[in-house]
Amino acid sequence: MQNEGTSKPQKQKTSKAERRAIQEAQRAAKAAAKEAGGVKPSASSGGAVPALKQGKVAKPSSQRKDGPQVTAPVTSSEKKVVDRLPEKDRKKDVPHPRMQFDDKHRVEKAKRRAVVNQSEARSRVELFRHLPQYIRGTQLPDLESKFFQLDPIHPSVYKVGLQYLSGDISGGNARCIAMLLAFKEAIKDYSTPPEKALVRDLTAKIGSYVSFFIECRPLSISMGNAIKFLKSRIAKLPHTLSESEAKSSLQSDIDRFINEKIVIADKVIVRHAVTKIRDGDVLLTYGSSSVVEMIFLYALELGKHFRVVVVDSRPKLDGQALLCRLVAKGLNCTYTHINAISYIMHEVTRVFLGASSVLSNGTVYSRVGTACVAMAAHAFQVPVLVCCEAYKFHERVQLDSICSNELGDPDVISKVPGWKDLNHLDNWADNENLQLLNLTYDATPSDYVSMIITDYGMLPPTSVPVLVREYRREHLWI
Amino acid sequence: MPDVQALVNDFVLKLKRRKIEGSHASARHTAELLRSVISHQRMRQTNQAGALIDAVKAVGEQLIAANPVELAVGNIVRRVLHIIREEDLSSTATAIEGLGLSAGSDDDDEGQYEDRPALSAAALAAAARSTLRAPSLQTLLGDIPGSAVTPQPPSSWGDSEGKSKSDKNLRSRKLKHDVIEAINELIQDIDTCHEQVSEQAVEHIHQNEVILTLGRSRTVKEFLCAAKEKNRSFRVFVAEGAPRYQGHVLAKELVGKGIQTTVITDSAVFAMISRVNMVIVGAHAIMANGGVVAPVGINMVALAAQRHAVPFVVVAGSHKLCPLYPHNSEVLLNDLKSPSDLVDFGEFSDCMDFGSHGGSPLLHVVNPAFDYVPPKLVSLFITDTGGHNPSYMYRLIADYYSADDLVVKQRSTS
Repeated sequence: MQNEGTSKPQKQKTSKAERRAIQEAQRAAKAAAKEAGGVKPSASSGGAVPALKQGKVAKPSSQRKDGPQVTAPVTSSEKKVVDRLPEKDRKKDVPHPRMQFDDKHRVEKAKRRAVVNQSEARSRVELFRHLPQYIRGTQLPDLESKFFQLDPIHPSVYKVGLQYLSGDISGGNARCIAMLLAFKEAIKDYSTPPEKALVRDLTAKIGSYVSFFIECRPLSISMGNAIKFLKSRIAKLPHTLSESEAKSSLQSDIDRFINEKIVIADKVIVRHAVTKIRDGDVLLTYGSSSVVEMIFLYALELGKHFRVVVVDSRPKLDGQALLCRLVAKGLNCTYTHINAISYIMHEVTRVFLGASSVLSNGTVYSRVGTACVAMAAHAFQVPVLVCCEAYKFHERVQLDSICSNELGDPDVISKVPGWKDLNHLDNWADNENLQLLNLTYDATPSDYVSMIITDYGMLPPTSVPVLVREYRREHLWI
Repeated sequence: MPDVQALVNDFVLKLKRRKIEGSHASARHTAELLRSVISHQRMRQTNQAGALIDAVKAVGEQLIAANPVELAVGNIVRRVLHIIREEDLSSTATAIEGLGLSAGSDDDDEGQYEDRPALSAAALAAAARSTLRAPSLQTLLGDIPGSAVTPQPPSSWGDSEGKSKSDKNLRSRKLKHDVIEAINELIQDIDTCHEQVSEQAVEHIHQNEVILTLGRSRTVKEFLCAAKEKNRSFRVFVAEGAPRYQGHVLAKELVGKGIQTTVITDSAVFAMISRVNMVIVGAHAIMANGGVVAPVGINMVALAAQRHAVPFVVVAGSHKLCPLYPHNSEVLLNDLKSPSDLVDFGEFSDCMDFGSHGGSPLLHVVNPAFDYVPPKLVSLFITDTGGHNPSYMYRLIADYYSADDLVVKQRSTS
């Protein structure tokens, strides 16, 4: 039955966690009392706590190691478990403040529970003290050496985590799909331990996987929303299902999410967007976005005549891969560096950009440099169209790129591939006056964006909070 | 003469092959070369100034044609021409004085004007055009008290025919001497422009400032180091300035002087500029309308600075001030560099299938070297003559250049 949950006292808990478990048990008991008879299991005092308070991942009791308490900027709203009372729905809409890394106490706690040992970078940029800055080179070998100790981590999850860490998988959609497929595998191989509730235990396991992913690379907003979806589906499982039925239901949910929210959404976006491409257009894109690439290829299939300008920037230089693919398909392409954006913008008629997310104040959160491109396009009166699937929207707001970002590896700035004699910044870490800053994202203000193309249609940036609110998170995901 | 021609050819070749980089080096070389040209010029009896001007124009035309994008070369040629005209003007003015005529300065009282020979109206108008003197009450209300530096020999003045030959020789040697002295001063100005600009650093950089720059400019480096020496506390964000990555060099130099520096990528400029107090950049050339030809990427920085209301300061020596207007500057004042800086040929060779599509490649790689920043984006110019608004720059041109010299073309001898 699911109404118990004594934990195996395998590890010592801090008193705070115990208190938290008791809190959660009381809250769940209240929720159970309010809902129609025992739908939700009441957690006993020692039960694993699936709910995430204060944005921290709960420690599952069956795990030997705990996920760290650091959370990426987006999983903050993971606390919205269905256990909450309905009248708290209004409060749910306020995203919980994220963990700030200049809080020494919490950072220390997080470090104690980390799977991957991360040493903080020596030269930290003052402006970004609230974000994690770790030394990059040691993570991969460290993780590899720990492979045989990481029993609780499913091998497919481990594989995807390694791919994140090394940068093999990048891009919002790709990361999200890889994560969901890994979870699907993990669910397929999952079996409920005896004396445990499927819902709670599975949620806890997913939570631990998520914390592992966070250690490899901070979550993107698309991944955060997908995790919220999965957890809500797990929590909504009817208790009458057997384990195999529950597992297959979850797997089909994941498939449905990927299909509806990503694959079909992309098709809808492409269909909307090609109506904005006319013959003779010169289209500019920045970096490498999967949706924009699909749009160009589809427009080519339709027989439209247009040119493409690919703008690229350091350090990732991901425009080159896109360039290769487009030229291979026979598109006439121009390639340039972001510094030359004013030079090339004279000839451009439309700008198509992808996004990692669109926030509730209309700000587009995407690859660093997008704001510069949008600004230059605005200065030359060129329309900017942002293509973003609706599942990536978020109710958070952000004013500039400093409040929340991801800091990449600073060493890639000092090393320029192909320029062997560019060694001015060797041994940069030795110098305390010198810092290298490698931002991953930036926030484009909404007045630079002419239109956002989503699977719900083409809307102005001011309509994003309407979409997030009216369709609610559940509707957005289901 | 032949050795001067060899020097000229050598310099022209260097300019064509882009062996000389940077406006400072180009300006200095040009000035020294023109000095040699002038010192080797044999002086005629009459119309020395005209001869010098012709000689300089002949050489200048070649130099400018060798590298039209390097505007400093043209600037120095025009400066030298202006110097010649000025020196000639002042020497003939002293000659007039010697003849008992008015010296042409504004301080003379009205009484002396009656002694002047009657100049024709055309000569007067030509004088008005070419001297470009600042208007004063006397010039506005009365006749122009100077003589025009016209190509006509001073013999058009009836009285001056009576001067002795020795006087003329003295004057010709003096003209050359004066011109060469003035060119030496010009060279010295070029060399010391950094110090002059840096002296103003203390007025603009105070405590706890955050400064953003892109790429590397020697003037900016000296500017910031001067502020550091006066113990002003500030931090610098240096954008690396791809594809030349000169920002790395600047960062290393600044750190060596003890300035807190952070290197960012160019794409992060918009992200970081919200926390920046001031943007300080160098320029390749300053045009007559106050626009700036700057290394590529600086227009992006200027737009971002305008958006965030951050002052955009351009520091440059006065040898970069160009009397031309930037028509179609993206094309005419730009250099397109090799695509290999951006793209590795090996990676893309299979993408560029010349066999299909009628032989034209599908891939164009664009690598411009310069950007144009319109004057409305610039808050302040700091030159060795002080700080100026972009709308004031056209007045500075009057100090340094003559209107006759805008097109440097050798006049066909009539």
